[in-house]
Amino acid sequence: MSIAKPRPGGTSSCTQPRVQQTQLLLAARGQASKFLLLSLLVGYAATAGFALPNPVESLKRFSAFRSVDSARLVDGEILGERGSLMDFPQGITAQTCFVLPVTAAEAAQRLQTWDPSPHEALNVLAFSPIGLPCQGADFASLDLRSSNHALRWLLDKSFAATTGKSELNLTRDEARQLADCAKGNPAPQAVSACWAKLLLQRVALFQRQGFAAVPPYETSGKTISPADQLQAMLREKTAMTHEFAPLLMQSGVLGREPAPTLTPFYYWGLCEANRHGTLYLGAAYLLPLDDRYQILKAQYYVSGTYYTSVTLFQVWPIQVGEKSGALVWRGDFYAAPSLALTRGIDRLATGAIMLQELKKAIRCFQADVIAKRLTRN
Amino acid sequence: MRSKKSSYLALWPAVLFGLPLGPPNAFSASPARSIAQEVDAGFGYVGGATTRGGGGNIGSVDEWNADLKYVLSPQITPNVLLRFGAEWQRSTFGVPDWAPVPSVLQQANAIIGFDYQLTDQWLLRAELRPGIYSDFKDVSWRDVNAPLLVGVAYLANADLQWFFGVRVDGRSHYPALPAVGIRWRFADDWTLNLVLPKPRLEHDLNERLKAYLSAAIEVDTFRAGDHFGDDQGRSDLNHAMLDYFAARVGLGLSWRIRPSVNVEADAGYMLHRRFNFFDQHLIFRSEPAPYVQVACHFRF
Repeated sequence: MSIAKPRPGGTSSCTQPRVQQTQLLLAARGQASKFLLLSLLVGYAATAGFALPNPVESLKRFSAFRSVDSARLVDGEILGERGSLMDFPQGITAQTCFVLPVTAAEAAQRLQTWDPSPHEALNVLAFSPIGLPCQGADFASLDLRSSNHALRWLLDKSFAATTGKSELNLTRDEARQLADCAKGNPAPQAVSACWAKLLLQRVALFQRQGFAAVPPYETSGKTISPADQLQAMLREKTAMTHEFAPLLMQSGVLGREPAPTLTPFYYWGLCEANRHGTLYLGAAYLLPLDDRYQILKAQYYVSGTYYTSVTLFQVWPIQVGEKSGALVWRGDFYAAPSLALTRGIDRLATGAIMLQELKKAIRCFQADVIAKRLTRN
Repeated sequence: MRSKKSSYLALWPAVLFGLPLGPPNAFSASPARSIAQEVDAGFGYVGGATTRGGGGNIGSVDEWNADLKYVLSPQITPNVLLRFGAEWQRSTFGVPDWAPVPSVLQQANAIIGFDYQLTDQWLLRAELRPGIYSDFKDVSWRDVNAPLLVGVAYLANADLQWFFGVRVDGRSHYPALPAVGIRWRFADDWTLNLVLPKPRLEHDLNERLKAYLSAAIEVDTFRAGDHFGDDQGRSDLNHAMLDYFAARVGLGLSWRIRPSVNVEADAGYMLHRRFNFFDQHLIFRSEPAPYVQVACHFRF
C-alpha cells in the first residue's frame, strides 16, 4: 500500500488552528478538566507537528482496530467494533472503518453534508440544511402531518407536554410554549409550526454561542445538559480526544474558551428512533489538516428517546495497488436514558444492533457516493 | 433497544474454550460499570390439583414454590461476559404420606457460564448449573447433577431476534431438549416474547407498567432419597430419577418500580404437571388448577 500525496488546504470554509494555551487552561474547571485540556494540547501539538506516513498505522494508533486489511476495505468491506463499556452510564460507542472510491477531500465534504433521508431503510423522515443566520424558512419543510405511527407519537407527546413533566426533551419554558401553542391549534400543521419556532430559538442560540449555550432538558424530573453529555462521552476516550484535539477545540465541543473558530454545516432532521418521531438539530464541522481531514457531527438537540449523539470522522487519502480512494474511520457516541438500565448481555446485544445500524447507514452513504461518481462520469 | 432476552441459556469458564482475551487496557470503564448483577426472587402457590398415577388417585395436591437466583456477570473482553452465580429453587407438594410422590423437590446449584458475541448478529450463551437436585433427604453425591444450557440469539434487528437453544441433562429421560424462540416487537406497545421457559405476549400500558399473557414451562430432573421407596412400600423408587414437568398459562402485570427493579405478579392456570419416574414407568399427572405467582427482578 502506498499513500496518495496529501492534499494541502482542503475546503476553504475552515480556518486553521488557533490555540491559546493560557486561555484554555484558565477555562478549565478542576483538575480533571485541566488534565484533559493539557492532554488535548499535547495531542494537538503532536498531530500538528508530525504527519504520519501511513494512514493505516495512524488509524491503528488511536482506534480499536488492530488489524486492518486495506485491500479488503477497498473492495467494500466495512470494519466494525463495539466500544468498550463506558463509565458514563447512559453512553454507548462504536467504531467503523471503510473506504470510499473518491478523493479524501470529496469524501470529507460529502460526509459533512450527507442527506440520509432518501434511504427509507434509515428511518430519516426529513433532513434539511440550516442557513447562517437561521431563518424561519429553514424549517418550512417540517411537517408532522402523516399517518406514520412515529409522528403520531411525537404529536401525542407534544399535546401532553407540561412544564412539570414530559417525555420530550425540553426546557420548562419550551414545554410551556409547546403546550400553549398545541392547545391553541391542535392541527398537525400548527404543531409543526410550534416545533419550528422552538427549534429556531435553539439554533439561533447555538449559532451565537455554540455548545456552551445549549439549553438543558428539564422536563424529565432532572436537568440534563446534552452538551455535558457529549463532553462526558468524549472525555472517556482519551486516545480519540487526543487524535481529534484540533477539531474538538476549534469546534468548541471541549473547552469553553476560546470561542469556536470553525463554522459548521448546520442542519435539522426528523427521524424514527425506537418507533418514536424524533427531531434533532446538528452541526457538522470539517477541519482539513496536512495529511487528512477531521469531521465532527454533533446533535446538540434531540426532541426525545435519546439525549444526544456525536460522530467523529477521520479521512485519509489511500492507494492500494491501482485503486485510490479515501480511508474513513468513524467513531459514534450515543447517550440515551435507557442505556443506564441496559446491562450484561442486553448491553452486548444493544452494541451489536447499533453496529448493524451503523453499517447499514455506511452502505447507503457508499451507494450515494458511487452513484454520484457514476453520474459525474 | 428494549430487549428481554432473559432466557437463552448458559456456560464454562472462558479459558476452557480458549476465548480470545483482549489486552489489559481493553476496558477503560470502572469495575462498577463492567460488572452486571442480576437478582431474581419468586414465590407462588398452585391450588389443589387432582393427581393420578400408578393406577390410583392420590387426591388433591397443592404446591408452594420459591426461588432465588443471583448472577454476577463481569465483562472481560468486548465480546465476552462471564457469568457466576447461585440459584435455589424449592417446590413443596401437599401429598399424603403414603403417596409415591416426593413432598419436596429442591435444587441448590451454582451457575457458571459465559455470553459471547460470535459475530455482528449472533450471540451465544452457555451455562452449566452444577448442584444438588433432589428431595434433600439423604443428600449424597448421587444427588449431584450438572445440566447444561446452550443458546444462541440471532439479532435480525432491533425489533426482531431469534433464539435457538438446547438443554442437556444426561440424567433425564430426555437428555437433550431443543427449543426455538422469537422476540418480535411488532407494534409500538406490543412485543411477542416467545422465549422459553417463560414465553409471553407483552403490552406496554405506560413507561412503567406492562401487561402480559404468559406461559411457563418448568423442566427439571431430580433424584429421590435413598429410602424414599421404602417409606412408600416401593423399594424400586429408592434413589430413583424423576423428571418433573409443569406448564402454566396466565395473565400478569409487570411494574418497574425503580429503574433497576421490576415487580411482577401473574395468575392463571397450571394446565399440566407430571412426576415421571421414567425407569420405573411410573407417572403421576395433575389436572389443571389455579395458580398465583409473584416475582421481583433486580438489575444492577
